[in-house]
Amino acid sequence: MLRANHAWELAALTPLSVLVAPAGAADYLTIEEAQAVLVPSADTFEPHPLTLTKDQRKAIKRLAGTRQRRAEQLAWRARRAGETIGWVLLDDVVGKHEFITYAVALSPAGRVLGVEILSYRETHGGEVRDAAWRAVFKGKTIEDPFVLDEDVPNLSGATLSSRNLTNGVKRLLALQRVALPRD
Amino acid sequence: MKRLRPLLGTYVEIGCEGGTKRQQALACEAAFAAIAEVQRLLSFHDRCSDLGRLNRSGGDWVPLDPLSLRVLHLARRLMEQSGAAFNCLVGGSLVATGDLPRLHRGRVLVAGVPADLELGEDRARLRRPVQVTLDGIAKGFAVDQGIKMLRRFRVPGGWINAGGDLRTFGPTGCPLLRREATGAIGALGRLRDAACATSTVRTARDQRFPGRIVDPSGRALPGGGTHSVLARHAWLADALTKVAAVSPPERRAAAVAALGGRYLPEPAPILEEVA
Repeated sequence: MLRANHAWELAALTPLSVLVAPAGAADYLTIEEAQAVLVPSADTFEPHPLTLTKDQRKAIKRLAGTRQRRAEQLAWRARRAGETIGWVLLDDVVGKHEFITYAVALSPAGRVLGVEILSYRETHGGEVRDAAWRAVFKGKTIEDPFVLDEDVPNLSGATLSSRNLTNGVKRLLALQRVALPRD
Repeated sequence: MKRLRPLLGTYVEIGCEGGTKRQQALACEAAFAAIAEVQRLLSFHDRCSDLGRLNRSGGDWVPLDPLSLRVLHLARRLMEQSGAAFNCLVGGSLVATGDLPRLHRGRVLVAGVPADLELGEDRARLRRPVQVTLDGIAKGFAVDQGIKMLRRFRVPGGWINAGGDLRTFGPTGCPLLRREATGAIGALGRLRDAACATSTVRTARDQRFPGRIVDPSGRALPGGGTHSVLARHAWLADALTKVAAVSPPERRAAAVAALGGRYLPEPAPILEEVA
């Protein structure tokens, strides 16, 4: 079972003959789409934007261990036939090299119903990547043919930790406890 | 259609090509659930997972899920066939350096041998105080379980990328790029019906990339390097990157090929021009 299978191997990886756009940026869902995926049985999502007080932010830090950096927090109350069945919160993970916008759905009792990433931006090595990409076009005129592969490339590499996002979710659970109505 | 969710300690992307929207949505949800199941069973960080219970067992027989046993069998057999170049029993050394949590209260050995892991019909036990880590294989296995689900829902094609361990299926495949330790991106080729995994040996700790590879006796590896392996299944590609990392450069390709994978050379820079 572990012997090499040469026929398979020859087909598995073929040379790229067209330009590929660099990876590192992707959009997955709009907020409306994310809401529908996270709380599919809701019939309305009522905007419930929050402006947190200093005391509330302190309480969140105490509960979750991470700082609530912004006073503003976007949230929606998910209702089905008038009843509150959950909350959807929009948040960002801002790392040194990544910027991720995501939505969390929480049950009224404070359980995570789901997490969906709306957009993902990675900037690590961006300078190198952008310079290399720009260099492709140097010297090309309008007569030069080039074809861009429309397929989105997949990126293989060392595993990026999602710990920042997990901490974000913990923080939003604390925020729910501190700042969202309990009804 | 594609979705990205935090799972397995990283970001997992699932993409579907072809089929109806409803089919894709259902398949995607089922695939994420299958991946979450692997996490539930095999997370080293969770003391209640099957792996956590085995590592805390102190030598007692521990009943395990059939899926957990399957992965342990794959890991132990690869350990035997690779002359321990792949070693799932180096958990102790990673606990000692703080890369993995301490689950077992007594003294642990930094590394073990295949005979230390005894596998029964529906249970397993540790014959010496080693710690099992499936970090080098579980992520790939989760990807395989996800792909199985997408196929079960008859999605014609797609991919799953779990933090850089990826597998694609279906007629189109996808362009495959690799991220170097410097952040530069290179092109490897177009991947079809195959899996690719990449491991990086870092000289300094980087909190964003917490994974760590050690040699079969549990010692730190010198120098740095990025290693990519192609295989039919993601679990094997994942595991063979560790074999590549611990093998001397002149033996790398042969060591990986002997175990059913293909060691990939340095990628071309992304400025691949049209012929």
